[in-house]
Amino acid sequence: MTDIAADVLLDIHNRMVRIRTFEEEAGKLMESGKIPGALHLYVGEEAVAAGVMVHLRDSDQITSTHRGHGHLVAKGGDLQKMYAELFGRATGYCKGKGGSMHISDLDLGMLGANGIVGAGPPIAIGAAFSNKYRGTDDVTCCFFGDGASNEGTFHEAANMAALYKLPVIFVCENNGFGEFTRQERHQAIHDIADRAAGYGMPGIVVDGMDALAVYESAGEAIARARRGDGPTFLEYKTYRYFDHVGVRGMGVIYREDSEVLEWRQRDPIALMEARLAEQGLLSADGAAQVHEAALAEVREAIAFAEASPFPEPSALMEDIYTTAAGAGGAA
Amino acid sequence: MPGVVGLVVNPASGKDIRRLVASASVFDNREKLSIVRRAVLGAMAAGIDRFVYMPDCHGIVSAAVEDLVEDAVFERLPSPVTDSALDTTRAADRMRESGVGCVITLGGDGTNRAFAMGWRDPPLVAISTGTNNVFPEMVEGTIAGAAAGLVASGAVRSGEASRQVKTVHVSVDGEKDDLALIDAVLLDEAFVGARAIWSPVRLKTLVLARAEPAVVGMSAIGGLLHPLPDSVDGGLVVEAGPGGHVVTAPIAPGLYTEVPVRTFRQVGLGETVGVCGPGVLALDGERERRLKPGQSAGLTVRRDGPLVVDVQLVLKLAAARGLFRTAWSEGTNGN
Repeated sequence: MTDIAADVLLDIHNRMVRIRTFEEEAGKLMESGKIPGALHLYVGEEAVAAGVMVHLRDSDQITSTHRGHGHLVAKGGDLQKMYAELFGRATGYCKGKGGSMHISDLDLGMLGANGIVGAGPPIAIGAAFSNKYRGTDDVTCCFFGDGASNEGTFHEAANMAALYKLPVIFVCENNGFGEFTRQERHQAIHDIADRAAGYGMPGIVVDGMDALAVYESAGEAIARARRGDGPTFLEYKTYRYFDHVGVRGMGVIYREDSEVLEWRQRDPIALMEARLAEQGLLSADGAAQVHEAALAEVREAIAFAEASPFPEPSALMEDIYTTAAGAGGAA
Repeated sequence: MPGVVGLVVNPASGKDIRRLVASASVFDNREKLSIVRRAVLGAMAAGIDRFVYMPDCHGIVSAAVEDLVEDAVFERLPSPVTDSALDTTRAADRMRESGVGCVITLGGDGTNRAFAMGWRDPPLVAISTGTNNVFPEMVEGTIAGAAAGLVASGAVRSGEASRQVKTVHVSVDGEKDDLALIDAVLLDEAFVGARAIWSPVRLKTLVLARAEPAVVGMSAIGGLLHPLPDSVDGGLVVEAGPGGHVVTAPIAPGLYTEVPVRTFRQVGLGETVGVCGPGVLALDGERERRLKPGQSAGLTVRRDGPLVVDVQLVLKLAAARGLFRTAWSEGTNGN
């Protein structure tokens, strides 16, 4: 029903491949101990970020999650600055002091990944209120998961968004797990979009493994918001192939490998490549080139990061919201 | 013999993109749970004490009857749960062997299509919880359940109060066959995407088992040109495009839109209409499968669909037979 130009289809595919490559390489580096701290990887969920973000311009905002790399890659983030941040280097997005869960890029409208589950919705409606107040037609896409949809922050934000008819799109990435807890053990409902009606906004359920279903639904929701018709709740049924943290993470057994394999049968990138091939838009060789280009770009970003310096200890108190004296509690 | 009632509840119905692009209602699963409960209680009032149901990842049926398990047997079919339409088709196939005498479905046209692909023979009481609903009825669950119970037990025979509806058979060159209960439509479209149809621009050929003027969806386009109800044999073929009529039809809830129609004609049962790709075939209002360039498909209206129970008629027959009342007490009369 939506006209999708060939260049847009290829763009969606490219964004998905860049996310997958970024994440797979990051996972290897974390599990080999080269990247410090925890990474929450987005592999398997690429169709959501790509299918939504391809509609957005730089002046549109997003709020992200602890699993946020894919969102920023899809929004056009600088891979070198992202990797530098993962490595804790001074050339990173947060000058090496934030790490994976605090990356932001205000020039791209990326208002931040966030280590706190459910922290994004109040920030998103603030940005959306600003867009409305300033009279722009910019919109804010608020990404969050099934776990976050149980947090009070989400419910307060949903209420205000509907009340004030704010140009915000609640993009719920329902991957079936809140960390290691299966959805049926943390929610009495299965379709989180059922909650939307309670706040007075439309909510729909969409196959989050199908980038084109994501593209169509997100396009309609974003158009609604730009027209001033208010918020929409989009629930994308998706799946993360890797553990909550890392690739095989903490060794917690909470799902069978067979379940992962079943979801991989509907891999969003493979599905997209099959469709592009059917349409004569991308051959197997062409797809391989996209993957190779993404890998080269990611390796270049990793090399940049590894060659970058760590932040100086003297930078510890820079870029904070108080003075060094205030932070130390001294008069 | 008390009989067995089958329950098939589609957890995904009533939640698609037509809530954004049209004005469709959201059908949340708590409401489906309430309807199931009422239908079960209605069937129990009609004497049913055994139910067989399709499992779903939402646990709708099991939650609806959790406090009724002392009063009736609820048997969960051992079919896999994939959270897709395949669940309904597989459950229908397994239900065939379970002694079910009547099946209650909750969903829209697509749900009933999925069921009919697995098992086309049993009497169906189809309760509407979908978006474009030509096949299922808007009927109160309690009454629907009672009607299903009466048919399942044989208190009202299926042959007395049901009719076999038409279908559209879809045969695709080199691929597996398919089925629609209301309409099969070729779209000038490359992708299945968000599945629903909400724009007339890409419509090419419509083959309608029913052309109803008072429904929402593809059937209404034909219905406003040349009504052809299910009771009349044959189908209607509509070729979309400029050069003929412009029909203002409700193709989605709240969405009346202008549809240019080049030609339309009635076809007989068994007469195959050929279409050719590239394009996408939409079945019962949802984009389902892609036709490759040059790939042909045959669309044939037949009268071999499910037996649809007339709920009103079942209850009238039940009243006439005194099935819900005692015999007269001595010394009283009917005045």
